[in-house]
Amino acid sequence: MSTRAVAINLKIPDNAAYTALVTLRRLGIDVAGVERSQIVRFADAPETQALVTAVEKDESLYNPNKHRVTVLEADAPRAGEVWIVQDDAERPVGWRLYRAPGVPASLDLLTQAAERLLCNPAIERAIFPRSHG
Amino acid sequence: MSRRIAVLVFPGTNSEDETLRLLHDCGGDAHLVHWSRAKTLPSFDAYVLPGGFAYEDRIRAGAIAAHDTAMDHVIAGAQRGKLVFGICNGAQILLEAGLVPGTGPVRLPTAAFTRNGPVAHFVCTHVHVKLNIDPARCAITAALPRGTLIPAWTANGEGRLAADAARLQELQDGNHIAFVYAHPDGSVDDTASPNQSALGVAGLINHNGNILALMPHPERDAWTFNHPDKRRGDDMLATSGGAVLFRSFVEALART
Repeated sequence: MSTRAVAINLKIPDNAAYTALVTLRRLGIDVAGVERSQIVRFADAPETQALVTAVEKDESLYNPNKHRVTVLEADAPRAGEVWIVQDDAERPVGWRLYRAPGVPASLDLLTQAAERLLCNPAIERAIFPRSHG
Repeated sequence: MSRRIAVLVFPGTNSEDETLRLLHDCGGDAHLVHWSRAKTLPSFDAYVLPGGFAYEDRIRAGAIAAHDTAMDHVIAGAQRGKLVFGICNGAQILLEAGLVPGTGPVRLPTAAFTRNGPVAHFVCTHVHVKLNIDPARCAITAALPRGTLIPAWTANGEGRLAADAARLQELQDGNHIAFVYAHPDGSVDDTASPNQSALGVAGLINHNGNILALMPHPERDAWTFNHPDKRRGDDMLATSGGAVLFRSFVEALART
């Protein structure tokens, strides 16, 4: 058992992600798409299917009409994703940026997006991927 | 010639009507300006950013509005010395825009009004804020007596000032803390703040003193009928309480 992270996304249109996309473009940060996730990190997590089942049973996290759950391969941001942490390190918000459809954003683009919009360094910190695909 | 005040309305702003009415009652020539008409903003002499939930507080409270085209004009005006007054969500926008406290580059915030403490709940309660600077330090407060106590309503989920220790020290050293929470008798201590705001801060100004960001709503306690202690026989439509700050704002504008 180890710490594992799940990403909970809206499967209905995510207005906040769309607004972030429009604003980033307005700032000259050329992104093709933005996905927003609620990341939840579990210490001593069970195996994948049991973890998904546990999340899907938690009504404070998951609504089957609105959400989809993805268990992440590592307890870290995916390629093109930055985690923004405020008070609770176990519940960051994940912003996954694409520079073209299906192509994750570069670390440089992610850094710009975090510094200029997604992260307020006075109250938040940004966690970037360890490597990029 | 009368000085014109723009009361900015973003999608999600909800306090523009009482803000506009109070400015009128205090003698201001105020007009609502919607974000979609941002091009008209340079023709105004001062800007008021009312409360609400601009852009649904997407990403963070005030973050999207701070990057709106309308704020380009507000920032440009503020840098030329125009008066800017943000209330509640308007204050959050000013901090996200880096205009207040203005100790870093524009649009790179150095502080934030963020989730309330000790529990991150929405807090709606009557408060008093006390002027914490020499009134002349800020043009908007210049007509107020030293130590003025202003009644207001706080209504937010994210009104607690937060920043790192060095930035908080900067606020103190630079006399940026315009208003602190106080008890009704004017005394100030750690229990006066309804949300554990750092240093008890309710309002901040920039270095030049032409921009004020205030979290509680003085415009919601600005006519006698608003006051919790109103009495039968009082003139319910008389401006009072929180109106003093708006009167001072309008007087400051007349002097420019």
